[in-house]
Amino acid sequence: MDPNQKRAKAVDRVDSVDTGAASSESTRMCPFPDEVLERVLSLIGSHKDRSSVSLVCKDWYNAERWSRRHVFIGNCYSVSPEIVAARFPRIRSVTLKGKPRFSDFNLVPEDWGADVHPWLSVFSTAYPFLEELRLKRMAVSDESLEFLATNFQGFKALSLLSCDGFSTDGLKAIATNCKNLTELDVQENGIDDLGGHWLSCFPESLSSLEILNFASLNSEVSFDALEKLVSRCKSLRVLKVNRNVSLDQLQKLLLQAPQLMELGTGTFMQELVSGPVTELKNTFSNCKHLVTLSGLWDATPLYLPVIYPACARLTFLNLSYATLRSIELANLLTHSKSLRRLWLLDTVGDKGLEAVGSCCPLLEELRVFPADPFDQEIFLGVTESGFVSVSRGCPKLRYVLYFCRQMTNAAVATIAQNCPDFTHFRLCIMNPGQPDYLTKEPMDEAFGAIVKTCTKLQRLAVSGLLTDRTFEYIGKYAKNLETLSVAFAGSSDLGMEYVLGGCPKLRKLEIRDCPFGNAALLSGLTKYESMRSLWMSACNVTMNGCRELAKEKPRLNVEVMKDEGSDDSQAHKVYVYRTVAGPRRDAPPFVLTL
Amino acid sequence: MDGTLGLLGGIHGGADGGGGGDGGGVPSCGSILTNSKEDDTMNDQDMLAEVSSSYPVDDDLELGLGLRIGGGGSNAIQEGSRILRPNSCSSSSSSSSVNITNSSIAGFKKSAIDSVSPPNAASVVGWPPIRRAHRMPILANRIKSERKEYSSRAKSYLSVKVNMDGTLIGRKVDLNAHNSYETLARTLENMFYGRLSNTETIGRSRLLSGTSEFVLTYEDKDGDCMLVGDVPWQMFVSSVKRLRILRSPKSRNCI
Repeated sequence: MDPNQKRAKAVDRVDSVDTGAASSESTRMCPFPDEVLERVLSLIGSHKDRSSVSLVCKDWYNAERWSRRHVFIGNCYSVSPEIVAARFPRIRSVTLKGKPRFSDFNLVPEDWGADVHPWLSVFSTAYPFLEELRLKRMAVSDESLEFLATNFQGFKALSLLSCDGFSTDGLKAIATNCKNLTELDVQENGIDDLGGHWLSCFPESLSSLEILNFASLNSEVSFDALEKLVSRCKSLRVLKVNRNVSLDQLQKLLLQAPQLMELGTGTFMQELVSGPVTELKNTFSNCKHLVTLSGLWDATPLYLPVIYPACARLTFLNLSYATLRSIELANLLTHSKSLRRLWLLDTVGDKGLEAVGSCCPLLEELRVFPADPFDQEIFLGVTESGFVSVSRGCPKLRYVLYFCRQMTNAAVATIAQNCPDFTHFRLCIMNPGQPDYLTKEPMDEAFGAIVKTCTKLQRLAVSGLLTDRTFEYIGKYAKNLETLSVAFAGSSDLGMEYVLGGCPKLRKLEIRDCPFGNAALLSGLTKYESMRSLWMSACNVTMNGCRELAKEKPRLNVEVMKDEGSDDSQAHKVYVYRTVAGPRRDAPPFVLTL
Repeated sequence: MDGTLGLLGGIHGGADGGGGGDGGGVPSCGSILTNSKEDDTMNDQDMLAEVSSSYPVDDDLELGLGLRIGGGGSNAIQEGSRILRPNSCSSSSSSSSVNITNSSIAGFKKSAIDSVSPPNAASVVGWPPIRRAHRMPILANRIKSERKEYSSRAKSYLSVKVNMDGTLIGRKVDLNAHNSYETLARTLENMFYGRLSNTETIGRSRLLSGTSEFVLTYEDKDGDCMLVGDVPWQMFVSSVKRLRILRSPKSRNCI
């Protein structure tokens, strides 16, 4: 290792200062031998802190880059794999995020990009000892998975969240070849489920598994293989099975793995009450380390009580697949006083949320999902009063995701008063542009109350009828805001200008269906390089506006996605992000980089 | 920019995979929604719809805000309904964030005429923003079928004849449109307005309270003439055959 080795220009955050200015005097000023410095710096985990460390001086920059084991890349196009490999020679773990978040909602065409393969190719030579790979919204093919499985001998942990392009054949390759696998976590991916045989591909010798999550896969797996796998992996602490695993089978699994900390059950309903099920309650009470419980598909009052013995220890309960009514939830929650995180379906209604407020004083996170988001024919779900009830009983709430069909300004103001510590506030009033249903006014004051009162707010998603006033509030008060999601809101360019003119810590801005045009886009000229990305779709931005932005800011990639047959002068979908890697080389024909 | 977009909701058969889906041309006399060829994600659409406002548009919101209150046609529109409008000032295809699935086209067509529900989440791509894991068609279907059972009775039309003493021509009333005696009595009072002396309807219906000179009776399954209001509503509905408004014997002046 040569401390005077020329640095690569690479940064994983563009705001790194070019340390070429640091002179060789710095070597004399630094009293520690490099080995000591590296050892000390290796204890620093946070990548933000590491970025800061690397800016101190040349020596520290080098020590940091040699001691870094994990790299986090929030936008796979902001940097190239070659640059990463050149700067960080000893990486063992990579987190890589690809597509813009709105791709989760079908707003990004399939072959947009974010292919993981170029990364794997580079890593196979640069990091042959890579152990962990965590991908989010990347395009992953079976070939890539096979490549991963066969080129990295010590590979241990694979996590795929919201990725697409692969099938269970790819998982077969992983199971077969990764001899030291500790983690396989496959969530919410758009994959081809070709059957459950992949699970049977784990060799008999593999006993290192600690995390196994295949809850979102649909096909049956061989229970025999699963049971054997679970019984020989004594360190297994996270097991999340899919819906096809029955209660009887769950019982058997839990007997093999009482050490589990996180459990995702299969279906929680059974036609016949058979012997093993009645013992399930005892089994659950024997799982002394269980802190997270999810799955619970089809849970009914008949079987739900079996989990009661475990509830007292639970800190995270995910009921978002269980169509519980308020009574059922209330009964369950009386046993679950230690909950920190709770995910629900809105079938529980406002009464269910009242129970949350009364039973869970330690609650920090609440997510309420709509059971039937696309059909209004069904019941109301939850309303503003449920949310208010929770806020009264749970003053420690920090994270809320709330889908509802009606809301009032007054209610949100009350909620803000009750829970001033919000860091993540995501309110989705499902009918686009709906006003306060009592006063008929816009929901401006609601979000105004939130940003004024909750000074720690990092993430905000707004909805309902909103004028520019909302954005004026956000720009003025949301000093810690990092992520903002806006849809069907605003009255004019001013709205977006307020946000871009305020919000000093803004990193991600995603906007859809708002009347913001070129003036708004260009008002952020000086801001975009300090942000990760900007997404604007179905707004009033034109190609000329985008070209102007691209011209003024060469270190940004300004990408426009063309729609077939749409007007050529309109920029229908715009994705702007900072990068040190230049324009994409793998852009499909419908993506224009200006 | 002339508002050329309106979305009327009433989308039935809940879209499975969120907003994305198939398209098909759907001309209809009220609202017209034409979809281009199926595409996995974004469909380019021309949206034409006729929007008749039954409420005034707030001037403040006029400014580029793509929302209008109201909907085509009927008076069954909920308060707070909104119709989406393209924000861009060029062709209407630019707001191609709207999509309707095949299964919902029929429902949409109907709603264009009936205009039952407000435009809503169901008609926009990627909205509400729910990730794959939480789009659960099975779940939705189960809840729907539970609901259907519950309300299937309510959907049928149960009409009975109503005759009033001294009136030759009778009326008919749909009992399933009511769920209490009070609403039924008010409806009857409205129907026979003028003939029921003192049709002041503040407070409890006078027909029911016995302070009117008329009394509301019904003929039940057994053919007996019974006073309305004694039994629980559902029981009444299941046994009533016809209604009669009789002049109370106490108030008979002569005859």
